Amino acid sequence: MMENKKFLEQINSLTELHYKNSKIFKLVVDKIYKKKVFSSHINDVPFLPVSLFKEFHLKSIPDSKIFKILNSSGTSQTKLSSIYLDKENAYQQTKVLNQIVGEILGPKRLPMIIIDEKENIKNQKNFNAKTAAYIGFSLFGSSHFYLIENGKVNYKGLNSFLQKFASDKFLIFGFTSKIFFQFINLIDPKKLISNSFNKAILIHGGGWKKMESNKISNKKFKEILMSKFKISNVYNYYGLVEQTGSIFFENKDCGFFTTHKFSDVLIRGKNFEVLSKNKKGFVQLISTLPTSYPGHSILTEDVGEIVDVKNCKCGKKTKHFYIHGRVKEAETRGCSDV
Amino acid sequence: MFKNFHNIKFLVGDSKFEKVLLTPYDDEICNFLGDFSKELSKKIYNDLIDLKSLSFWCRKNNLNKIKKSFFSNEIRSGIGLIFHVTPSNVPTNFMYSLIFGLLTGNSNIVKVPSKNFEQIKIICKIINNLLNKKKFKKIRKMIKIVKYENNNDEFTKFLSSICDVRIIWGGDKTIEKIRKFPINSRSFDLTFADRYSICILNAKTIKKISNNDLENLVRKFYNDVFIFDQNACSSPHLIFWFGLNEKNTRFKFWEKLSKIIDKRYNIPDKAVVDKFSQFCRDTINLKEIKSQNKFGNMIYTILLKEINSEIENLRGKWGYFYEKEISNLSEVKNILTNKFQTMTYFGINKRQLETFARSNLKGIDRIVPIGQALEISLIWDGYDINKKLTRIIDIK
Repeated sequence: MMENKKFLEQINSLTELHYKNSKIFKLVVDKIYKKKVFSSHINDVPFLPVSLFKEFHLKSIPDSKIFKILNSSGTSQTKLSSIYLDKENAYQQTKVLNQIVGEILGPKRLPMIIIDEKENIKNQKNFNAKTAAYIGFSLFGSSHFYLIENGKVNYKGLNSFLQKFASDKFLIFGFTSKIFFQFINLIDPKKLISNSFNKAILIHGGGWKKMESNKISNKKFKEILMSKFKISNVYNYYGLVEQTGSIFFENKDCGFFTTHKFSDVLIRGKNFEVLSKNKKGFVQLISTLPTSYPGHSILTEDVGEIVDVKNCKCGKKTKHFYIHGRVKEAETRGCSDV
Repeated sequence: MFKNFHNIKFLVGDSKFEKVLLTPYDDEICNFLGDFSKELSKKIYNDLIDLKSLSFWCRKNNLNKIKKSFFSNEIRSGIGLIFHVTPSNVPTNFMYSLIFGLLTGNSNIVKVPSKNFEQIKIICKIINNLLNKKKFKKIRKMIKIVKYENNNDEFTKFLSSICDVRIIWGGDKTIEKIRKFPINSRSFDLTFADRYSICILNAKTIKKISNNDLENLVRKFYNDVFIFDQNACSSPHLIFWFGLNEKNTRFKFWEKLSKIIDKRYNIPDKAVVDKFSQFCRDTINLKEIKSQNKFGNMIYTILLKEINSEIENLRGKWGYFYEKEISNLSEVKNILTNKFQTMTYFGINKRQLETFARSNLKGIDRIVPIGQALEISLIWDGYDINKKLTRIIDIK
């Protein structure tokens, strides 16, 4: 209970910070939340719809303090989110990501395969979420090897990587769709020196939209990794570019995402009422990290549910949740195509 | 001649496009539509209320009424072959368009939406059954219903080249696209573009009416708005309240509406998120907000101090309204453009409305009581379709 109170205090002080420093945030809190800056319950904390980050420059710092601007990778949207970071916020993101990923990988850097083309990552004009994730996760690796070269699998490089490192733990990282199309589908096991991925730890995130349209579920994804490559250590993560750093990992034992001390998750119904466990609704994410932009409490466009698990085998006591996917596009009736 | 009929489905009729004319409102036409109405009324399911309205609309009695209003001393004849491009999101609209063409004695090629609407299947099945009857053998040649992908430009181009009238139901983007395909020099386009509609409510009257009457009024308003997710051209986006400082009345109205919605309207998840985003966006962008409110989470209202935004920016969906208090109808007049289509009203007397209508308005084609916003008629968008789709043979 003490922890809950401390978390709420942290979030309230973020609301206050952004209220004082972001005109836009203040306007929304004044007009839509009746100037409620301090909440006595986490359920009452004002939240912004995630789409606002695509339309407005939401920041709580003067322009002179902008250290970098993080854009959503936006493969399937037209407008991109822009996240304004100062040095302190950027540092906190890295620090917290380290702590969260460290729980899975341990303190030692691991040899790392990145499922993408080096050129793709370098050539990004803007610093976007994808680049940020690659750079963020690269910190956990050593001897980085990029699997794809000129659109093809670099078998020579891969085989020499495996020869050197496959006898011990190593890391594979990529976006979900990249893992599927450029690793699972592209690699011909016959061209490998031996099928030696069994010690790999695979981390992937994002990109479920593409998977859904290809009818690949999370479960199926894991099954293929197991049957084709004998990879059993697979960690899916979930997070918003608006809350980079405080991401959520799927627990290997129970298959659910869990919150940590930097975050909370609420599920809301159509009237934005907070739903009880095992009910599907809109996912609201709360994070202690955003200080330079008002992104500490966001209503996402994802549908999820808090699951009821007592004494989960994963051992975690925090909230367990499941993400069902994006809110479905609505078919509008009517004659206008506006 | 067009040959590549690959990927073109003829739901009714075949590719022999002919120009067959019948006298406008010929018995064969009216009987056919009357029979259609009867057959359709047998097939109606609860969730397809648009079929119910369609069946009700083209029942024999109503057609006779329309026929009477058509009668004049002029000799009028159908024009020829009409190519109808119908909107993709109103499943029954194509049938109304076809009925317009038939009543006026023309032959018709109707392009229906490429989406698989149950309503289209039901309607075409009934038409096909009726057309097999001997008594409708003339009309058989006058109806072709086709379904093909919007990107089949070749076919659209061909149909455009052979038609005498091309009816294009918008969006504006569709109209712009279809207009690129030439039609004959004697042919013309009849376009139904994107429109904007408003509603005017007399707050002082509403304050006085009984709870029951208010309930009825709100129900009618609900039908005007929510049958097409507030996205029909004639559904209101901007509400004028006649009478200043009637906050309690306004709130009572919206609260009633929000209760009906809770019971009857199944709002999609995406709409919930989008409406909330729009509410935040307006809060940030619109400078002329006087106050803003949420009723439940289903009705959002923005009360404006004045109207100086483009109406394109004052458009909501799924229960999102802009409001303005007025003390005089001239305030409505001042903002009108030719985008404005329907004005629904309650508590304003007819004489006042007639004076208003005669005051050289820059927009508004229909002024109808609340509850009739979606009632289509042969006077639409300011056109008399009976006259548009027939020609006069002048004899002296």
